[in-house]
Amino acid sequence: MLPESDIPIRLVDNEAHLDFLGAQDDPWLRLLIAEFDRFEGFPRRQLSEALAGPMPRPAPQWKRRAAARILFRLWDRERPQAIQPALLREVLFRCAAQSKAERARVREETAFVLQIPPEQLSRWLFCDLPSERLMKRPTASPSPQVLRQETNLAIAQAALMRAATVSIDLVGNARAIVRLARLRGLLCSVMAQPNHAPPTLSLSGPYALFRHTILYGKALAELLPRLAWCNRYELRAQCRLQGRLRDVFLDQDSPIAPAKEPKPFDSKLEQRLADDLQQHATEWHIIREPEPLTAGKHLIFPDFLFQHRLQPERRVLVELAGFWTPEYLHEKFARLAASNAPNLIVCVDAERACGVQAAHETLRLLPYRGHVDAKALMAKVERLGI
Amino acid sequence: MRLLFDRGTIVLHDLPSSLDPSIIPGVLWDPRIAAWRAPGRLAYPLASELRRRDVRLSDRPHPQLSPPTGFQPVALRPYQQAAFDAWHEAGRRGIVVLPTGSGKTRIAFAALAATRTPALCLVPTRALLQQWANELGKYYGGPIGCLGDGQRSLAPITVATFASAYRNMALLGDRFGLLIVDEAHHFGNARHDEALDMAIAPLRLGLTATPPAPGPTLQRLSTLIGPVRFELKISELPEDSLAPFDRITQPLWLEPEEQRTYDDLRTLYRGAFAAFRITHPVAKWDDFIRIAANTDSGRRAIAAWRSCQRLLAFPRCKQQALATWLQRLSDRKTLIFVADNDTAYRVAREHLLMPLTCEIGRRERSVMLEHFRSGKIRALVSAQVLNEGLDVPDADVGIVVAGRGGEREHTQRVGRLLRPSDGKRALVVELVVQQSTEVQNAEKRWSRLVA
Repeated sequence: MLPESDIPIRLVDNEAHLDFLGAQDDPWLRLLIAEFDRFEGFPRRQLSEALAGPMPRPAPQWKRRAAARILFRLWDRERPQAIQPALLREVLFRCAAQSKAERARVREETAFVLQIPPEQLSRWLFCDLPSERLMKRPTASPSPQVLRQETNLAIAQAALMRAATVSIDLVGNARAIVRLARLRGLLCSVMAQPNHAPPTLSLSGPYALFRHTILYGKALAELLPRLAWCNRYELRAQCRLQGRLRDVFLDQDSPIAPAKEPKPFDSKLEQRLADDLQQHATEWHIIREPEPLTAGKHLIFPDFLFQHRLQPERRVLVELAGFWTPEYLHEKFARLAASNAPNLIVCVDAERACGVQAAHETLRLLPYRGHVDAKALMAKVERLGI
Repeated sequence: MRLLFDRGTIVLHDLPSSLDPSIIPGVLWDPRIAAWRAPGRLAYPLASELRRRDVRLSDRPHPQLSPPTGFQPVALRPYQQAAFDAWHEAGRRGIVVLPTGSGKTRIAFAALAATRTPALCLVPTRALLQQWANELGKYYGGPIGCLGDGQRSLAPITVATFASAYRNMALLGDRFGLLIVDEAHHFGNARHDEALDMAIAPLRLGLTATPPAPGPTLQRLSTLIGPVRFELKISELPEDSLAPFDRITQPLWLEPEEQRTYDDLRTLYRGAFAAFRITHPVAKWDDFIRIAANTDSGRRAIAAWRSCQRLLAFPRCKQQALATWLQRLSDRKTLIFVADNDTAYRVAREHLLMPLTCEIGRRERSVMLEHFRSGKIRALVSAQVLNEGLDVPDADVGIVVAGRGGEREHTQRVGRLLRPSDGKRALVVELVVQQSTEVQNAEKRWSRLVA
């Protein structure tokens, strides 16, 4: 992640505009990549010093720093095969402490004892340490376009890392974002909007009520590459930048590279349940990730919809809950009852209850440990889905 | 009514209709879950307040881990005992201020043994994590958990780095009844304060040699840990509590072309800073750095300032002086303090001395410290790692080549040398470049240390 000092931003009143890289930046990005190539085999420190000076072609200072950070991340380091640098240090410094000989002589003796070329001793002495590592070109050197994409994602994530709250208007794939947010321990309220406007997700952590904390920034930043898989989004965040909370705005036009295609299942738990249900739910269609349900002003995102093969009016929804409290469940069931929505069974992890020692099984509640018992779940589905 | 721990906070459930939680300090309405919520730190005060209002609590957070057993008695020196008593009598909450090297950690172990409640000890660095665990093992026979530096184990007594505690307190906040905060002055400035605010532990002990000056930071620290309960300055310690020391300040001069470069660079950044102060009269240096970075002339000024720092870090006069001192003191255990890692590696390469930086891994650091203790190596060179807390009992010479952290850093560095042992007399050598900012800085940090 980029440190705050390397985020290219322009401040206008309370708004921070992220200064993304565009095609116009490709010429100096190419030079920057060439500069890295030039330092292959040299310590990283020397390259850092060179980068602090002017470049042959003018480049925006903060963008350049951000791009250089990404290149450092992409580059590998040289690993000496002949010896571990830590062992070399131990032997060399112990010999030096016990010998009255000239330093050069101590170096030669150590190289002889360790059977390494004397001229490499100084080069390998600290080459495992981050600032002293010897730069090694990656197998595939990035093109300016790839570097630009990676840098832009890093810029946006670095800003969100400093976010106290985030709200997103979202069209398509909202469920994946909600699930991921909950898995990361965030509180996620989803508000349905009138006139078929996109639902608004408000994301923050429990403690955010008391302070504009950036404690949840990492979890919030992790959502960003997933947003690129949504059809349309508008994200507004309050980020602590340059000592103050500032508004940051991102949307589907922001040049952010999408993450890898989302996995078909969010978790192993869900995957195993889906596999087990193949055996136990032969009379039911199982629809994964059904459309979200509107319950009052809120949206509910069930994980499965069970629809009877012969009697399609028999429908039961199933949700796998992350953190939960009895009040949370009570409110959810109440909302569903008020909205005439289909029956819902919530499977709760008995070990992730917020302050509750044990979950009491009811018709609509199935506590589990480790994995959800598909047989027990089907028994409930049969009883509820009448 | 029930108080439930929820990821670093307390959620109020089943409220009696007669209770209006909005009048209880710290409790806020959380519209996201339609419930009242308070920070974890208020778990116990909130329970007391509710009891005072005759509200019956059927459930409330309490430390989830079992109490530790298997403590050896911890012998305290009289002033340590006085510090412990002051903390204990003040409700076992608050900060103890003692000079570096006077045995603050012992007081922490005494607190662990006396309270016998699951405890989380917070330390600032990875280097200190291992040292705390090792030291603790001498007084406590039970398992010791470690969080940080690649370790992730939990036990009734756990040591964690500040950063790990910050990241994990949502899950750990209801496990412990006692928080011990080493180098507590790092808190109170909003950086990692959440770690203390999200824990339910009612008992808290902060340890520091350099508390913040009275003001908002100290006030916040008092809220998070408790007020300063006991304070002792170096001059107030019994004579045998710290090793006596001699101080030598060696004046050095830059070579003519270095001096010219230094003067030119300094003129450049001082001019820019003076111009900045006209438009921003109350701004600080940090503000200047941030705002100057947006213009070419500002960036040139910052670059000039950085070059000045680099030049003073290890100019030729310091290189020669260091070589002479190392030759002269070759039979004494010496710590060399430099300004940055680059200089540490330069010194290490040139004089074949082990560098101890934040980049050196845990295992290697332990091995090298052990070699230093046993005398297999005689000197260590460090930029920051040796500044705080790290116990190097036998070191008796410190050579301060340069520093970046001001008076607090200097106090901590000198403290590394003052752990007492029979017949020990420490020596602090400070290399100060004349006609530079180092002269004024050196005077300032010594005056603070003596005070």
